[in-house]
Amino acid sequence: MPNIFQTVPLIHFVYLSALLFCIGVVGVLIRRNAIIIFMSIELMLNSVNLLLVAFSAYRQDPPGQIFVFFIMAVAAAEVAVGLAIIIMIYRNIRTVDINELSRLKG
Amino acid sequence: MNLSGVLIPFVPLLGFIINGLGFPKVSKRWAAWIGCGSVFISFLIASVLFIQSLTGSFESTTISLFDWIVAGNINVGFSFFIDHLTLIMLMIVTGVGFLIHVYSVGYMHDDEGFGKFFSYMNLFIFFMLVLVMGANFVMMFIGWEGVGLCSYLLIGFWWKNREYSAAANKAFIMNRIGDLGFILGIFLMFITFGSSDFDKVFAGSSAFATNDHVMVAITLLLFIGAIGKSAQIPLYTWLPDAMAGPTPVSALIHAATMVTAGVYMVARSNILYSIAPISLEVVTVVGLATAVLSALIAITQSDIKKVLAYSTVSQLGYMFVAEGSSAYSSGIFHLMTHAFFKALLFLGAGSVIHALHHEQNLRKMGGLRKLLPVTFITMFAATLAISGFPPFAGFFSKDEILVATYEKSPAVFWILAATSVLTAAYMFRLLFLTFYGEYRGGHHQHEHIHESPRVMTVPLMILAVLSTLGGFLGLPALFGDTHWLSHYLEPVFAANTRLTEHSESSLLEIMIVVLTVIVIAVIWWWCNEKYVKKKVAPAIVEDQLPLWYKLSYNKFYVDEIYDRVIIKPLEWMGDFFYGKFEANVIDGAVNGLGRMTVWLSGQLRKIQTGNIGFYVLSMVIGIVLLLIYGLSKMNLF
Amino acid sequence: MNLLISLTALGVVAMFGGILKFRSMVMPLSVLGLIGASLLGVYAWNTNQSFLNDMMRMDNYAIAFSIVCMAGTLLTILFFHFFHSENEIHYAEAVALMLFAVAGCAVMVSFTNLLMLFLGIEILSLSLYVLAGLRKKDLLSNESSLKYFLMGAFSTGFLLFGIALLYGATGSFATTQIAYQLGIAGMNGMAAMGLLLLMIGLLFKVAAVPFQFWTPDVYQGAPTIVTAFMATVGKVAAFAAFLRLFQLCFAPSKEGYQLVIGTVAAITMLAGNIMAIYQSSTKRMLAYSSIAHAGYMLIAVMTLNASSNGSILFYSVAYTLASISSFLIVMVVQQNRNNDTADDFNGLGKTNPWIAFALAVSMLSLSGIPATAGFFGKFYVFSSAVSDGFIWVVAVAVISSFISIYYYFRPVIAAYSKQTHDPVMTMPAGTQALLILLSLLTILLGILPGFIAGII
Repeated sequence: MPNIFQTVPLIHFVYLSALLFCIGVVGVLIRRNAIIIFMSIELMLNSVNLLLVAFSAYRQDPPGQIFVFFIMAVAAAEVAVGLAIIIMIYRNIRTVDINELSRLKG
Repeated sequence: MNLSGVLIPFVPLLGFIINGLGFPKVSKRWAAWIGCGSVFISFLIASVLFIQSLTGSFESTTISLFDWIVAGNINVGFSFFIDHLTLIMLMIVTGVGFLIHVYSVGYMHDDEGFGKFFSYMNLFIFFMLVLVMGANFVMMFIGWEGVGLCSYLLIGFWWKNREYSAAANKAFIMNRIGDLGFILGIFLMFITFGSSDFDKVFAGSSAFATNDHVMVAITLLLFIGAIGKSAQIPLYTWLPDAMAGPTPVSALIHAATMVTAGVYMVARSNILYSIAPISLEVVTVVGLATAVLSALIAITQSDIKKVLAYSTVSQLGYMFVAEGSSAYSSGIFHLMTHAFFKALLFLGAGSVIHALHHEQNLRKMGGLRKLLPVTFITMFAATLAISGFPPFAGFFSKDEILVATYEKSPAVFWILAATSVLTAAYMFRLLFLTFYGEYRGGHHQHEHIHESPRVMTVPLMILAVLSTLGGFLGLPALFGDTHWLSHYLEPVFAANTRLTEHSESSLLEIMIVVLTVIVIAVIWWWCNEKYVKKKVAPAIVEDQLPLWYKLSYNKFYVDEIYDRVIIKPLEWMGDFFYGKFEANVIDGAVNGLGRMTVWLSGQLRKIQTGNIGFYVLSMVIGIVLLLIYGLSKMNLF
Repeated sequence: MNLLISLTALGVVAMFGGILKFRSMVMPLSVLGLIGASLLGVYAWNTNQSFLNDMMRMDNYAIAFSIVCMAGTLLTILFFHFFHSENEIHYAEAVALMLFAVAGCAVMVSFTNLLMLFLGIEILSLSLYVLAGLRKKDLLSNESSLKYFLMGAFSTGFLLFGIALLYGATGSFATTQIAYQLGIAGMNGMAAMGLLLLMIGLLFKVAAVPFQFWTPDVYQGAPTIVTAFMATVGKVAAFAAFLRLFQLCFAPSKEGYQLVIGTVAAITMLAGNIMAIYQSSTKRMLAYSSIAHAGYMLIAVMTLNASSNGSILFYSVAYTLASISSFLIVMVVQQNRNNDTADDFNGLGKTNPWIAFALAVSMLSLSGIPATAGFFGKFYVFSSAVSDGFIWVVAVAVISSFISIYYYFRPVIAAYSKQTHDPVMTMPAGTQALLILLSLLTILLGILPGFIAGII
């Protein structure tokens, strides 16, 4: 079966995932809500996944895709920890706005 | 088998720790046992190694304990090196050191700092052993600094006397000047050879041509260190002042061991010096000048310890002349015999001082021959030895040096021979003023004078035997062909030693012997006439010889010249820089910088706003800047 | 590998210790376990074995740094045991998290594949996120945890993007393959971008300027014992991984990026030390000091020569010893005087002479005064940089070291030259003995540095 991936030039994948990554970064920069920031970070990770899969497919080289599985697993763990932290904060101050969290400074 | 050698320095260190931590809880009796015992154990181990080396079952070895400083390509190991030269030094340091420790038990008996004294002495022995056993120049330097420290502590042992602590400071500062040379030499060695290990440096030096600039520089810098430690011109003035310390200290540190470290160092680096004959000439000239000058000073001094101190300086000059003439084994030989008879002289002087309740002025002594018989006889033997009277130890070693210099330069020989005559003169003067004639102190004191206790006289007797017989280790060609010591040291010096095999040397030796005997006889007669028969007080006799006497008595005004030329201008500059420059310029600048830093700190901390959004924004800006900078650096942008 | 397995098992056991109510066994078990794991490491010394299809290699470098991390963890757990109050509900869980974190460290320092690097960093970081928020009701602890988590996850994105680009450029995650491919093809744009992004991710983990923002806030907000753990074990592991990655993959092309790291190092040292001056809280001051120390250690990463490994190892040990004991002293002062400004150290020399001694030694070591381990740490790092011609970096380092003396000496001066009417400080049994032991080790390494520096 011909590799459909290879019908699109590799560099397009690179551009696409770089774009997705930048959207994630901008999301982290402009949003205040901790959960949305967290989602933006997930977007960054997923752009990496896309990039890895693309490289893997072009090179016919499985390790890239295996790496993606590990990123997914770690991201899931991160979600668990991150949401727990956010919930802990919500219980204490009834908001997840990061601008409310600036007692530690100087 | 040589691992036991590692123990040699550490046993005295243990003694230092016990006595030092335990003071003043450890009783005097225990402090004495620990102090002397630890040195004696080292002496026993050294003796075993020494006997092994005689029977041939010994090979020179390097014992590496661990890597001490590792930085880049530089690796300094904490390691010891034992060969025949080290063994000779070990025997001297531990053997003479042990005798002096035993003597100190009697001498320091009534001192309240008894335990402290022994802990310092043990620490000194430890560092001295590190100095002679180190397998690289850095280890040697550690020992070198350590013995300097102990010397400082012990000169100022009676620190409540301001003059004594000033003497300690003087010794310390003068030694720093020398140490600076030494440490620069070591740096240069690292740069040149990439190591300071003896084997690597000596092996690497063979690649250099004779009188190569680098080799001359290294050897001269090392010699500056030796000048400071071994009290040669121009840094010799600290040693006479160092006599402020207790007399056993003078015997151990400022006569037998520490001051000979410079001689040992030059002998150890003989391979380097043999590549730099220019440096050897410097060594000869400095040694010769020091030998003459201090002998001239010694002849008029009235303090018994000062005479001996200048005599030490002079004898050290002898050793350097020997080394400068490439007669390294003769230098070490003289180092050894000197350790015996000079330690004995100091200890004898100490015994006299002890008996006279800390009276050191020769003019107030006299007639002690019958009161202090053991001290008298042993000191008499030492005086004969240092004067080069056959067959006492000094005769052989000094004779060897004279023969070696004759081959190199007759002028040096004649000056040295004249100095030798001077040596006999001032030593017999000392002997006469102390022991002959009538007692010149008060009658009240006279009744209390008695011989020192056994614990002090036994070390005197042992040293007297050594001073008498020690010379047979190096029988010169006159009395037979074998020269045991130079044969023993052959592995260390083989390639660089001139062997004395000339026919004319025998004649020369006989001539020197005759000359010495005549001089001693003349001095004897002269002193007898002046001091014993005519009963002239020494001060009056000496005042009849005004000009040269004044010069000599005032040590050629060297201290005063140093004071005017170096110390006063420095003090003035210090005043200027401290009073004017520091107060206004430096303080202002430093305070200003400090205030600026604090202000900057106050401003910079404001970027830690505590807001995550701001943090992330700053980080992204940082990332972009770093990417641009990095890509442009890698020429990809 | 046995070391890693036993560490993980130990973490699981400690975790069940909290659930199954055998909390009193947790401390002895983990101490014994850590000692055992270290012995396994010593046993594997010089074996140089590869594991997991060549994704990890337990070479001497890995073992040495694992042992340093485990020793740091051991000390932290001991002190945590001394100081935790009986009603602290998450004691066993916290110990378990520390053990998981140190397992992550062991992975980070032994990787030979970028996947393992990533996993190690994440295992360590996830544990630290939770540890920072250990006090659930304490708002500062909450804030610290969230800040650490959000910024840590953000930086992980860059790290991963870098790994992906590097994979695209070289076709492999294995360090040997990457080095080989880069050697053949040279640095192309994609590889350079990947390298820089990886570097940025790691610079965040070691808290170099401009990625230092999280450090002071997180260190201040987290419980002090966790701060001590993060500042020592976490930082040492991050540096070991940083250096290992660059030694294994990028050493031949170091001319390209050396200057970048050098610049970051210089700015980090200066900024860390200058910002530390204004801090009144000693704990926060120590956080800035840890930023400055990251700058010093970056110098060794920059020079990247044969002596870098040894000098970073020595620096890590010296820094760990001094940091743990200074954080501990801060904790003692906080408990007794409810604050940790320099004034709270007043008269410590009179009331608790041994604690004051330990304070003085650790501060002297942190500022790099001779006869302490910190001096030789700096000496090794600086001298290798000088021999590679980076004199300007060393000049900046020396200047910033001078600045640091100002704030390091503040508590020491307060302890010895000021008076107090406060009572003698009390502390759990054993604290004082351990602090003295740490001080003596610091002095010992300051006199005989060869024991450690030459080991790898």
